[in-house]
Amino acid sequence: MKLNIDDALRYAGVRGAPPEDLRREMEDIAGVLEEKLFPRLTWRAWDLDRGTDGLTLRGAGVTLTGHTAERMLAGCRRAALMVCTAGGRFDALLRTEEARDMARAVLMDGCGSALVEAVCDEAEREIAARFPDLFLTDRFSPGYGDLPLDLQPALCAALDAARRVGVHVTDSLMLTPAKSVTAVVGLSDRPQAARIRGCAYCRLRETCSIRKGGKTCAI
Amino acid sequence: MPSEFWRDRILILDGAMGTELQKRGLPAGAEPALWGLDHPSVLAAVHREYIEAGSQVIYANTFGVSPRKLAGSGRTAGQVIGGAVAAARQAAAGTGVKVALDIGPLGELLEPMGALAFEAAYEQFKEIAVAGARAGADLAVIETMTDLYEAKAALLAVKENTSLPAFVTMSFDGGGRTFTGCTVQSMARTLEGLGADAIGLNCSLGPDQLAPLLAELCRNTRLPVIAKPNAGLPDPADGHYDMGPEDFAAAMGPCLEAGASIVGGCCGTSPEYIRRLRNAVEGLAPAARVYEPASFVCTPVSPCRIDGVRIIGERVNPTGKKRFQQALLENDLDYILGVAIQQEDAGADILDVNVGYPGVNEAEMLPRVVKRLQSAVSLPLQLDSSDPDALEAGLRVYNGKAAVNSVNGEPAVLERVLPVVKKYGAAVVGLCLDKGGIPRTAEGRVAIARRILDAALSRGIPKEDVWIDCLTLTVSAEQDQARETLRAVRMVREDLGLQTVLGVSNISFGLPERPLITQAFLIQAMGAGLTLPIVNPNQREMLDAAAAFRALSGEDRGCAAYVERFAGQKAQAPGAVPPAPGRPAAPRAASTLEEAILRGLKEDAGRMAKEALRTEDELALVERRLIPALDRVGEDYEKGKVFLPQLLSAAQAAQAVFEVIRASIAEKGADPVKKGRLILATVHGDIHDIGKNIVKTVLENYGYEVIDLGKDVPPETVADAALREGVRLVGLSALMTTTLPAMEETIRQLRALPDPPVVMVGGAVLTPEYAVRMGADYYSKDARQSVEIAREVFGQ
Repeated sequence: MKLNIDDALRYAGVRGAPPEDLRREMEDIAGVLEEKLFPRLTWRAWDLDRGTDGLTLRGAGVTLTGHTAERMLAGCRRAALMVCTAGGRFDALLRTEEARDMARAVLMDGCGSALVEAVCDEAEREIAARFPDLFLTDRFSPGYGDLPLDLQPALCAALDAARRVGVHVTDSLMLTPAKSVTAVVGLSDRPQAARIRGCAYCRLRETCSIRKGGKTCAI
Repeated sequence: MPSEFWRDRILILDGAMGTELQKRGLPAGAEPALWGLDHPSVLAAVHREYIEAGSQVIYANTFGVSPRKLAGSGRTAGQVIGGAVAAARQAAAGTGVKVALDIGPLGELLEPMGALAFEAAYEQFKEIAVAGARAGADLAVIETMTDLYEAKAALLAVKENTSLPAFVTMSFDGGGRTFTGCTVQSMARTLEGLGADAIGLNCSLGPDQLAPLLAELCRNTRLPVIAKPNAGLPDPADGHYDMGPEDFAAAMGPCLEAGASIVGGCCGTSPEYIRRLRNAVEGLAPAARVYEPASFVCTPVSPCRIDGVRIIGERVNPTGKKRFQQALLENDLDYILGVAIQQEDAGADILDVNVGYPGVNEAEMLPRVVKRLQSAVSLPLQLDSSDPDALEAGLRVYNGKAAVNSVNGEPAVLERVLPVVKKYGAAVVGLCLDKGGIPRTAEGRVAIARRILDAALSRGIPKEDVWIDCLTLTVSAEQDQARETLRAVRMVREDLGLQTVLGVSNISFGLPERPLITQAFLIQAMGAGLTLPIVNPNQREMLDAAAAFRALSGEDRGCAAYVERFAGQKAQAPGAVPPAPGRPAAPRAASTLEEAILRGLKEDAGRMAKEALRTEDELALVERRLIPALDRVGEDYEKGKVFLPQLLSAAQAAQAVFEVIRASIAEKGADPVKKGRLILATVHGDIHDIGKNIVKTVLENYGYEVIDLGKDVPPETVADAALREGVRLVGLSALMTTTLPAMEETIRQLRALPDPPVVMVGGAVLTPEYAVRMGADYYSKDARQSVEIAREVFGQ
């Protein structure tokens, strides 16, 4: 699985044009990770029912509440859930690198974030290939806009995430292994315009250093 | 339940339960075990269908039950398990079919991947196991495990608290690893050592993909092997599995041929699948099995089969090392971890771990060090202690199959230590000495080795797990003994057929050019049959000699490893990330200490610090040179001229300087340079701690002493530590909105102390305003700012 080096550098706190040696070091770490890790993904699609309390994925035991889900899934008759992970081995390699060389660990951490994004892109490609007649919306995750974080346990249960890809939810609603993501993507009969609205909807907008630098993370 | 029930015969298990319950009304998203408690007749009906289809063991509907998951449901594990086992027993009554307590994963990851401590996992499994035994289960089945550590906790809980036979099955991917990276070999040899009654594979794959993994499993265990695969793979569009009953039964053929004898189905299967399977295996006897005996130690991800020379690294040991002793007394586990990682990178295969030192409680320290090392080092460990309690405590929390160093020929020692070795399935090093000391002749030492072997065999420890140390004596003091040691090694290897261990470095004590003598002895010893030299892997001469020996002995096929070792740069350990091309092996050397720090050149910085200490004292070096250089990097970081990785590189170069200073001070026996002590912790519920670790790296390299409480730290632990240590500053980190309440509570408890410390907080979701609202004194936006805060608080 190829990850995007520019994304990885951004996640590692490197803004603007990085020095060449830093980029080379990042590429080197990315190469090692691409070789050592087995990223995993699983997804499943359900029909959507619109009710007073939100959009229910029929048979999944999941109801997506709030305005974000309503706006993001407008015009969709189905939706897919995905869970993607860089895997537990990444956490172990990162712990070793933190003990060995913290500077490289920060770069590796950025690689992990970029890797799980690449896995999500792969999941989207699989979904698109399985439903060639439908159009995908932007993907979005619990914590984006007003889609509640406390959906994580239900999303993971619906996807049988622990058994299929080894992803668990802690009591504080964090996913383990660390570089894991759940996301929702709508499936519609009509082409979909991009709906992600950037910083205004992000919970990190107050403290985000990228935003302070006048840029966005492009999510 | 007698062992004839599952040994030397084909035994048929059941198939999926969850999907059968869904067909009968279990709603989506509902917890099957809780629903089952209210629908016992439905449970009994499913069980009866499986029994009619031919199942000889049925799994009670207890998969996934855990005290944690049931919290808030109003039901206890005892109630749910009692109901489920009773329903299964009712269905099985009068049929001769046995009922298994089904124990699944607890649903949260264990440390170090997650927040659940091994001991806490054990307690949950204990509650489950005791409830199952009380309810009348005939056996316990631990299944769908992906973490060997969790499987160990469950297996110990069953064996220590019930008399039920225990089967263990784990889930692997097609590449032969679990999600946590565990290999089939590691699983097989660890679980057999821990006393499982049968082991195998379930879930995640169809039977066709399972067969090759089962073959590997059978080569690595003498136990009956279980196969309980899925009905192929699910279609993500609708969740249906792609393999029908007939195809499933046919595809199970290769699983049986590979050696599986206990068979059933997992996800996607139904009573019809079991019926077809039963028909297919009718009249079959288990296939012949070929077990490969092996001397073996492992962690889940790193199996180490001793079929040639394997290097045991000796550096995790305080003997004669002041800096290591200081680390032990100060609880500085990070230092010890650094020593271990260095040996892994240098090419060690196994690491000896000794933490015995006056003033250190080994029985507490050894398990803590084992856990810390296993969080970041993948190599198997050899636990080295003369304290049986420490050995037992270390073996208990060890993840994998470890070695124990050591026993000797004394009956009292054998009596005390061998049962512990047997219980945890470890290998054991036997020293050729007893009350009479070290025999002067090879024959005398071999006699003791034989005694140790017999004692081990009589306790059920296989000979592959008995490693003999014929003992190295110093050649400058007892010249004839080098020859006797080599003779003894040869006899133990050839006559007894055992693995041989030697602490090699002892040979050269008191002589000049020690590495030469040590290397020459190592080469002769390997020639005599030494398989497990204990050496300092950082001494190139030793690993070079081993590499050459492996080429000459034919173990290194085609001399490939030898060529790789000497082609261009230093060979890498399997787990090591090679040095980046971006940071080449020999960049232009720095001309000043300041430049070395600015450019993050650790080795240059350390070397220059040593030189500087000839003319400056430690404090002046820190205040006049180190800190100003770090400040310059910090300012460049503020201005966006350098980035976080470069800031950290500089901090680590400073760390190299600090190591030199610490060593110098430790030699003099003076007080360490420390500008102020503070506590850092990632708050309760939060398990991502890289942010806290970044802050720690930078603060330490400004000379502050950091007491790192780790991640997921309860508020009262932080408050207790602040009170006990009397620190002036506490830094707290939180990543998620969901853990901010824990941060707030921690601050509240710190504020309630008699003399409350200053609190700084940081983390992705925090804002300066929110920090103030929670009662923190400072909001720290990054590691650099935490240094400014520390300066304000400590006035330096």
